[in-house]
Amino acid sequence: MTELAVETIGLVKRYGMLTALDQVHLQAPAGQIYALLGPNGAGKTTLLSILTTLLPPTSGSARILGYDVVRDASEVRRRIGVTFQEMVLDPLLTGRETLDFHGRLYRLPASVRRQRIAELVELVQLTDAIDRPVKSYSGGMKRRLELARGLMTDPQVLVLDEPTQGLDPQNRVNIWSYVRDLNRRRGMSILLTTHAMDEAEALADLVGIIDHGRLIVTGRPSDLIASLGSDVIRVRGSGDFQHLATVAGTVDGVSRVETDPAGGLALIYTDNGSRRLPAVLNTISNNGFAIEDVTLARPSLGDVFLHYTGTALRD
Amino acid sequence: MYATYVIWTRHMRKFVQQTEELVGLALQSVLWVVLFGVGMRGMISDVGGSDYMSFILPGIIALSALGGAVGGGMVLLDERLRGIVKEYLAAPIPRLSILLGSAASTATKALLQATLMLIVGLLMGARLAINPFGWIGALILLAIFAIGFSGLALGVAAVSRSIAGYHGMIFLFNLPLLFASNALYPLEVLPGWMRAIVLINPATYLIDAVRALAFGVDATLPLWASGLVLAIFAAASMAFALALFRRSLRG
Repeated sequence: MTELAVETIGLVKRYGMLTALDQVHLQAPAGQIYALLGPNGAGKTTLLSILTTLLPPTSGSARILGYDVVRDASEVRRRIGVTFQEMVLDPLLTGRETLDFHGRLYRLPASVRRQRIAELVELVQLTDAIDRPVKSYSGGMKRRLELARGLMTDPQVLVLDEPTQGLDPQNRVNIWSYVRDLNRRRGMSILLTTHAMDEAEALADLVGIIDHGRLIVTGRPSDLIASLGSDVIRVRGSGDFQHLATVAGTVDGVSRVETDPAGGLALIYTDNGSRRLPAVLNTISNNGFAIEDVTLARPSLGDVFLHYTGTALRD
Repeated sequence: MYATYVIWTRHMRKFVQQTEELVGLALQSVLWVVLFGVGMRGMISDVGGSDYMSFILPGIIALSALGGAVGGGMVLLDERLRGIVKEYLAAPIPRLSILLGSAASTATKALLQATLMLIVGLLMGARLAINPFGWIGALILLAIFAIGFSGLALGVAAVSRSIAGYHGMIFLFNLPLLFASNALYPLEVLPGWMRAIVLINPATYLIDAVRALAFGVDATLPLWASGLVLAIFAAASMAFALALFRRSLRG
């Protein structure tokens, strides 16, 4: 049996009448990157708050590396590194002071702190800025500094809540490459949340899709995608989606049709997209559906999300 | 607790870096002593045998420590609202050390301010007792008092949802602390019912003890009682702060 970095059993969190997490069973093996994919408000941050010992669960249990997050909270805290969704940096401190202070909170000796800061500053490319106050940093630099802070204590499990939210594409790709590096070179277990499917596809060994507080499906991204069929024809437009689903389903080679009327989107899964495309389009436009835009692609994690939740991944 | 010390150094680091806060605090001390002292002295020449400057200084010092405690609570509130406190919460340190770190930095600032006020007061003609142990004792009591009020402020800060809400709550107990104490008038001149209220106020004990220890005025209340009241007050208010802080984390 492989060791689990993160495990939750029947985890529930309620705020009064609101159920933020509903019977979450999650298993993230050690040494892998696990991405929780879901829209904002799905319960991702609540789940991470419980895993990082900031919030107690209402019922159920959660373990990090076998340590219970309630009973053995301090053992858990010693072994994890965290970055939070919002930037939690003190604008008055310099980058170096931020890292050094964090190391002192964990009682790292001065020599270790000095060495780690030197390594991490190199890793996240903040060499020039490290002695400037944080308030002079750009959003991307702050994120990189936070990542470095999470790594100061050389954690066994790194927990990243929306690590690239609000960053420009170049900074996103940078963060992705650090995360991949940490996992591949140091074998660090990483649990991250994202509402961007490209991020989950780019990084994750395992993806868990979460919506309305429930963990709906878990699997390797490629397996989840392959389970949908080989090609998907995405049609945007307006008209009677129910009717569209019925008629498109009768076309040869179409295995399944999914629609999201609110998003004006229909997904038509086929065995061979380029061969079936003319027949499919012909059929649906003959039935009074106004097509605005058609794309033919391999299914994506976004399609997986639609398939399992019945709605497109919203922001 | 090591974490308390670490958090204290972080607050102090920020304190010495913020020139405005430093200058503001220093000027505030000087202005209090000069304006208040001079103004009142014109009206009242002496109180119960001591000059009015010596009489009023302990009260001014106690009240500026209150201001410091309110500021310390603001720092926690700000760190809470901005999420900075999560860095502490996810670290393997006791919750109490976070609060004690804040209270310790408030006490430190209060001591610095008190020292400055004493110097200005001396220049303005206050007469200190010639007993350095008395001065040190007075400063220790001031530190305990500052920790006590930090506890109350931190407790309110732990549950406030906004900065305005925090100030509203704080104002509620700030004003009575000034007027329902012996800061401005001696205990003996007060009617019985008001004296009863004044004796609930921890500031009264601090002010009385500081007058006795640092200025050589006869104590109206026994010194040991004042020390005990202040110690119990500090412990109780930190317990209050911890209870509210824990409650705010339960979610």
